Amino acid sequence: MGVDGSYPLLLVIWLSPLAGALLLWAFGPQLRKAGGIVGVGAAALAFVATLGMWGAGTQLVNSGGVPLLGAHQTLGSWMPGMSFGLLFDPLALIWTLIITGVGSLIHFYSLGYMAGDRAFARFFAYLNFFLFAMLTLVLSDNFVGLLVGWGLVGLASYLLIGFWFERPTAVAAARKAFVMNVVGDIGILAAIFIMFAYVHSTSYADVFAGVQSHALTGQVLFAVCIGLFIGCAAKSAQVPLHTWLPDAMEGPTPVSALIHAATMVTAGVYLIARCFPLWNSSPEARELAGLIGAITALTGAILGMGQWDIKRILAYSTMSQIGYMIMGVGVGAYSAGVLHFFTHAFFKAQLFLGSGIIIHALADEQDVRKMGGLAKRLPFAFAALGIGTLSICGVPGFSGFFSKDAVIYGTLLHGHPYLYAIGVITAGITAYYMFRMLFMVFFGEYRGNVDASDLGMRHPELAGVHDAGHAQAQHAHAPAWLMMAPVAILMVPSIFIGWLNVGGENSPWAKFIDPQFGPAQGLTGAPLSEIASTLIVLAIVAAGILIAYLRYATPAFISNAVERLRNETVRMPGVLVHAFYVDAAYEMLFIRPVQAVGGAILRWMDPVVLDGAVWEVAHSAKWLGHLFRSFQTGLVRAYALTIVFGAACFIAYYVVAGGVR
Amino acid sequence: MEAANSLTNYVALSAVLFFIGVIGVLVRRNPLIMLMSIELMWNAANVALLAFAQAWHNNTGHVFAFLVITVAAAEAAIGLAIVVVMFRSLHRIDIDDVSLMKG
Repeated sequence: MGVDGSYPLLLVIWLSPLAGALLLWAFGPQLRKAGGIVGVGAAALAFVATLGMWGAGTQLVNSGGVPLLGAHQTLGSWMPGMSFGLLFDPLALIWTLIITGVGSLIHFYSLGYMAGDRAFARFFAYLNFFLFAMLTLVLSDNFVGLLVGWGLVGLASYLLIGFWFERPTAVAAARKAFVMNVVGDIGILAAIFIMFAYVHSTSYADVFAGVQSHALTGQVLFAVCIGLFIGCAAKSAQVPLHTWLPDAMEGPTPVSALIHAATMVTAGVYLIARCFPLWNSSPEARELAGLIGAITALTGAILGMGQWDIKRILAYSTMSQIGYMIMGVGVGAYSAGVLHFFTHAFFKAQLFLGSGIIIHALADEQDVRKMGGLAKRLPFAFAALGIGTLSICGVPGFSGFFSKDAVIYGTLLHGHPYLYAIGVITAGITAYYMFRMLFMVFFGEYRGNVDASDLGMRHPELAGVHDAGHAQAQHAHAPAWLMMAPVAILMVPSIFIGWLNVGGENSPWAKFIDPQFGPAQGLTGAPLSEIASTLIVLAIVAAGILIAYLRYATPAFISNAVERLRNETVRMPGVLVHAFYVDAAYEMLFIRPVQAVGGAILRWMDPVVLDGAVWEVAHSAKWLGHLFRSFQTGLVRAYALTIVFGAACFIAYYVVAGGVR
Repeated sequence: MEAANSLTNYVALSAVLFFIGVIGVLVRRNPLIMLMSIELMWNAANVALLAFAQAWHNNTGHVFAFLVITVAAAEAAIGLAIVVVMFRSLHRIDIDDVSLMKG
C-alpha cells in the first residue's frame, strides 16, 4: 500500500505518550505537581508531531492507485513474513488529530479538575498510557497490532474508570467495562484467525487484496465481519454490549470526556472505516452494522430521556451518537460516519468538560434535579453546554448539523429507508432529552437546597455520586482558567468544523477523505432530495425542542418545579429506570447460571465427589493396614502355628491330589 | 514285603517324632525346650531320609542327612545365642515375652 520509508515524526507521535506514561509511573511521587506538566507535555508533543507529519505531506497510493496523504513505516517482524509497522493515512490522521488534539486539551483541563487529588501523577500516567494505546490501535498497519492496541485501550479504560478505587461502584464499573471489552477482543481474535487461515497474512494490505481476489469471500467474509463487529459493538457500546458505558461514568469527568466520548468508544467506527473493503464486499455485514447502529442510536436516545445524572444523560447521548456513526459507516456512508466522529469528538468533549465545571462548582453534585438556575451562576458552563447541545441536536450552522445530516441522508442514499426513519426519530428524541437537560440545569430556580426526598429521590446513592471520592479536590481549587481554556478552545470546532463538509463533492472534507474510501458502493439513489431530508429532520428536531420547552421551561413548570420533578421521578417507567432490563437479562442469562454451576461445584462436586474420592483412598489404605496388622501378634508360637497350618495345607493338598491321581 | 514293612515303620517313627517336635514348639514357652523340640523335628527328618535312602538304594539320602546335621548344629548355636541374649536383657526365659514386634 504505497511507499515505505523512515518517518521519525511518526515514531514521536506514537511513543511520546508512552514515554510520558513510563516517566510518570516511575517518578510520579517525586514529580508531584510537575507530573501534570509532563503528562500535558507528552500529549502536546504528540499533537505537534501529528501536525508536522500532516504538514510534511508524504504520499501513499491507495488500492485504486489514487495518491493520498500518508506514510508507511515498517518497524520489524515478530514472525517470518509477519511485519509490524505504522500506517499513517487520512483515516489514521483524523483519529490521531482527535486523540492527540482533543486529548491534549483534556490533559490540560485535568490540571485544574484533578488538582489536589492524591494520585495526581498516577492520573496523568494513565491518561498518557491511554493515548499510547489508542495510537497503537489507530496507527498499526495490521490486525494484530490493532488488536494489541484494542486490548491496551481496554486496560487503560479499566484503570481510569476505577481510578477512584476506594469507591466500590467505580471498581464494579471498571470490572464490567473490562469484561465486556474482552468479549469484543475475542470477536476480533476469532476474525484474525479466520482471515489468517484464508489469506495467510494479517496486514491490512494483504487482507484487503485477499478480498479483492476473492480469497476471502461469501460466508467466510461475513464471519470475519461478524467477528470484527463484535469487537466494535463491545468497544463502541453498541446494543447489546452497551451496558458498561453508562456505568463507566464512575470515572473522573475528564476520563468520561476523553475515553467515553471522544476517542476510545469510537474505535469501532475506526475499525469499520479501516476495514471498508470487507464491508463493501459483504452486503450482509452492511445490513448487520447498519441495523445494530440504528437500534443503538434509538435505544441510547430513549434511555437518555429518563436519566437524572448529568453524566449519564451525556453517556446515553454518546451511545446514541456512536450508533449514528456505526450506522453511517455500516451502510457504506464512510465519509459521513467518520465526519460525525470528527465533529462529535469536539462537541461531546465540550459537553463533558462543561458538565465537569458544573460538577466541580457544585461540590460533586451530578443530579440535574438538584441543579437549576445555573445560567446566572455559571455563565461559561451555560455557554459550553448550550453550544454543545445545539451542535449535538443538529441545529443548522453548528457542526453536528452537517455530520448528522450526512449520516441520516447517507442511509437513504444507500437504500435503507427504515434506518433513515429510525435516524430521523432519534434526532427528535436527541433534541428532546438534550434540551430537557439544558432547561433543568440552567433555567428556573436553584434546587440544590431542596431536600432530596421532596424531589422523589428514593435512592440518592444511585442517582449520583455523593460520597467524597475526591474530597481533597474541593479544597484546593485550581485557577478556573485551567478548566475554562480547553472548553473555550473546543467551542470553535464545535461550531465551525462541520462547515468543512459544505460543498458536496468539492468540499475540503470530501477531497481529503474520499480518496481513502474510493468510489462509493451500494448507492441506490434516494427518493428524497437532500434539502427535503434536511427539512424533515429539522422539523422533528424543532418538535423535540418544543416538547422539552413545554415540559421543563414554561413559567408554569418553573414556578412549580420541585413538585413536577417529584411526580416525574416517581412515575418514571420501570423500563427506563432499569434501562430496558438489559443488565437484569445478563444477570439471568449469564451470571445466575454460572453462579448456579459454581454453587453446585462448591456444595456437591468438591466435597462429595473429589474430596470423597481422596478420602476413600485414604480410608481403604487404613482399613487394609488394620487387617494385616491383626496378623502381626509378635508371639513366636502364633507364627509357628501359622507355619504348621500352612504346611498342613500343603500336605492335605498333596494327599488329596495324590488320591485323585 | 519285609523291606516295605520296615520302611513303613521307619516313616511312622519319623512322623511320630516330627509331631512330638511340632507339639513341643507350639505348647512350650521355654525357648530351650522349643529348641530341643526343633532338634527332634530335624532328627525325624533324618530318620525319614535314611529310611528312604536304604529302601531305594540311593546314597543321596545319606549325604543329605549329614547336611541336615550340620544345619541343625548351626541352628542350635544361633538359637542358644538368642536365648542367652534374651536372658541377659529380660532376666527370665519366656518366649511370649519377646513380642515387641507385634503390629
